[in-house]
Amino acid sequence: MSAAGRMASVQRFLEHWGVLLAFALLFGASAWRQGGDFVSPDNLRTMLNSNAAIGVLAVGMTLVIVSAGIDLSVGSMVVLAAALGTTAMNGMIGAGWSEGASVALGACVTLGAGLAAGSVNGSLVVFGRIAPFIATLGGLAAYRSMALAIADAGEIRSQSSTLFSKLGRGGIPLGWEKAGPEGEVVYAGLLNAAGKPLTLTYSIIIFLAVAVVAQWVLSMSRFGRHLVAVGANETAARYAGIAVGWVRFRAYALMGLLAGLAGLMQSSRMNSVSTSGLGLSNELDAIAAVVIGGTSLRGGFGRVWGTVVGVLILGMITNILTISNVSPYWQGAVKGAVIVLAVLVQRGSRD
Amino acid sequence: MELPPSSISDAAPVRAGIPRILLAAERVTVEYPGVRALDAVSLDFRAGEIHAVVGENGAGKSTLMKVLSGAVRPTSGLVRVEGAARAFARPLDAIRAGVAMVHQELNLVPALDVAENISLGREPARGLGLLVDRRRQAARAKELLGLLGSGLDVSRAARDLSVAEAQFVEIAKCLASDAKVLIFDEPTAVLGEREADRLLGLLRRLRDEGRAVVFISHHLDEVAAVADRVSVLRDGRLVQSFARGLDEPLRDATGAAVDEARIASAMVGRELGSIYPEKGAAVADAPAIELIGFGARGRSRGVSIAVRPGEIVGIAGLVGSGRTETAEAIVGLREAEGVLRIAGREARFAGPSAAMAAGVAYASEDRKGRGLHVTLSSVANTTLPSLGRHVSLLGLRIDARSEAAATARWVREFSIRCARPELPISSLSGGNQQKFVLARWLEAAPRVLIVDEPTRGVDVGAKGEIYRIIAALARGGLACVVISSELPELIGLAHRVVVMRGGTVAGELPREKLGCADCEERIVRLASGLDEEGRAA
Repeated sequence: MSAAGRMASVQRFLEHWGVLLAFALLFGASAWRQGGDFVSPDNLRTMLNSNAAIGVLAVGMTLVIVSAGIDLSVGSMVVLAAALGTTAMNGMIGAGWSEGASVALGACVTLGAGLAAGSVNGSLVVFGRIAPFIATLGGLAAYRSMALAIADAGEIRSQSSTLFSKLGRGGIPLGWEKAGPEGEVVYAGLLNAAGKPLTLTYSIIIFLAVAVVAQWVLSMSRFGRHLVAVGANETAARYAGIAVGWVRFRAYALMGLLAGLAGLMQSSRMNSVSTSGLGLSNELDAIAAVVIGGTSLRGGFGRVWGTVVGVLILGMITNILTISNVSPYWQGAVKGAVIVLAVLVQRGSRD
Repeated sequence: MELPPSSISDAAPVRAGIPRILLAAERVTVEYPGVRALDAVSLDFRAGEIHAVVGENGAGKSTLMKVLSGAVRPTSGLVRVEGAARAFARPLDAIRAGVAMVHQELNLVPALDVAENISLGREPARGLGLLVDRRRQAARAKELLGLLGSGLDVSRAARDLSVAEAQFVEIAKCLASDAKVLIFDEPTAVLGEREADRLLGLLRRLRDEGRAVVFISHHLDEVAAVADRVSVLRDGRLVQSFARGLDEPLRDATGAAVDEARIASAMVGRELGSIYPEKGAAVADAPAIELIGFGARGRSRGVSIAVRPGEIVGIAGLVGSGRTETAEAIVGLREAEGVLRIAGREARFAGPSAAMAAGVAYASEDRKGRGLHVTLSSVANTTLPSLGRHVSLLGLRIDARSEAAATARWVREFSIRCARPELPISSLSGGNQQKFVLARWLEAAPRVLIVDEPTRGVDVGAKGEIYRIIAALARGGLACVVISSELPELIGLAHRVVVMRGGTVAGELPREKLGCADCEERIVRLASGLDEEGRAA
């Protein structure tokens, strides 16, 4: 094979598998830098857990970007949905409802608010014929401002005593209990740094479940195929008899629903909603993860698993930088460089 | 001086004494993973000569042109410009060396005007090089267009130009870069009959100025009419060359005159019979589709056509006659007016999916922009309009096996060259892509099929297959409307031909008249505003 041919196949390889290679390199570097601490189940779980909400957003963003759209309002949808849901939950608890019913209904309000905000985005894009960048830029400003107005820019503390935060922090223990030699109950399984049973949090489970379903939708379902077709060439999709508007609307509505879910995950983990801080610049992290994962910003091609790896890469970078005592002010610069590098490496025949 | 053609590759025209070789390919080989697209092809292109390169889809014409114009680097072999070996790393290198390609897809900046497009990248400057000298820019554009015999207004925006006008601007752009060799890839494919004639005249004019013109076309009549030399590629190899003397027919190495049929058989490597299938008869009396005073708002009006099951109705007309717009209005892609009846029931469709639900399909003429998703796989392209037929799990999950089977069936049926249907369809040659345009709509099993330019960019062999399939489906009860700029195709395939002009029907040729020797002229007269006998209508 000629030198040019070899270059082309290296290019193709990087385009397809570069993101996994980068992940492996970073993982190796982290393990080398931090020794066994990094690869401990506790640390890995913590990393996954703290990135789960961003991960849910990034997965939704993948579908929107595949349809040749973009959603800049996800961070603001997160905070608006969480603020409305938590306020509703507090209201019900204050009115003497049971904690279980209040938490459940509050969660529904959060999800519903996200879905509604996403549907507004979708309507603006589809029926209002506003460019997605502009329509959701409006959402970025408006939804955050509504959340700030609800709480006077302050914090909404959850009135749920235990159940709400259990949703955010609880999980399934990675081990089991068994009878000890003297009949006492002994825990066998993974432990955290403090020697307590390690749990797979609900957040992680939700993130992975959302990713698996989204990858299935993208590669196996009619909706997924239509998203790809609309993103690749909207006119040709219309000529092929696809209801282009309805496909695009559903992408934004689904994004809103997932933003609500991410809002629920984050507010329950904090057991409160900081209307000025929650979800702030989440849209950038989500878009970055999608791009690192190899999805084309032009639409028409995407992969959810790439996005998941992208989320983990971003998480690991933060982790390494923090442990290496790099000032948080510099972390943005490193992340920015990684994003640009990812695009450079993956830019190939598709562009 | 009449040179006796001593061997195939030496067969040379005698137009300008000993013609200067401007561009040459020497044993150019291009290999893609698993495919040898070009196999040691040597060809030269001389000043003052129109050199046509012909071949079936996938024969390697496009690859050769990409090598010559710097878009693809050969695996081995050389490109020489005026004798000097050149390795083009990108198209810009070729343009600087004087080799310019006039692309099938036009590359004008829509928002800029004609003059700006022509001088794009080499704007005449004034004011310390900071400002563009608009006056010189416009004057230069006028001069170049004048060379081409076009009086186009240089202040018009490119987006307002017709395809033919845009093509002239594109050629003027090449002249502006001082191109000595101009490569035309299917330049007449997007043009109507009259515009195509004008373009061929332009090729002659460029040749007479001493430029080398490389001409790629599937229209062998055009090739036979204008080419001084014809080289035939088959499966990546140069198989034959024909040349002509001044005002003489093309001849082969033995000196025998060569006609279109001979070129065609050299392309496919066998003798071709008639490519038109037997015409069947209508299988039912009640029309499957009926237009009464129908039209696309603002574009066409008063169109009345009825097509019965089993019938193939051709629609002729110049570009801009409202043919395509009327078809688009039928399936709801444009606002319609007048009456549309499907199987006797009045209908008005909101879009192609509604039309398809009623059994009406429209295959667009614009393969890359509308007809196909070039970045998606051949499989996805085949099943996109009929995806609902390839699902399981309550319609949620796409049944990959059913999709693959459907694709394999059409690949077989149309003899499509497509080794790996899971790859993007852009990896196929234009003709094979065109077959998929038809396949995706036939897969949707329509009762009325409207095909717009079904054989654009398709070679002779593939054309025959497409005609055969359309005719076979018609015999099975499909009502078919064929819109085409190729009159032999309409005459050979259709039961009758409706001619459109200026947005409405100018006349109709019934079946018995399609057999006449002069039916082609009759259609042209109707399309250009005369009556059938040639009097101003």
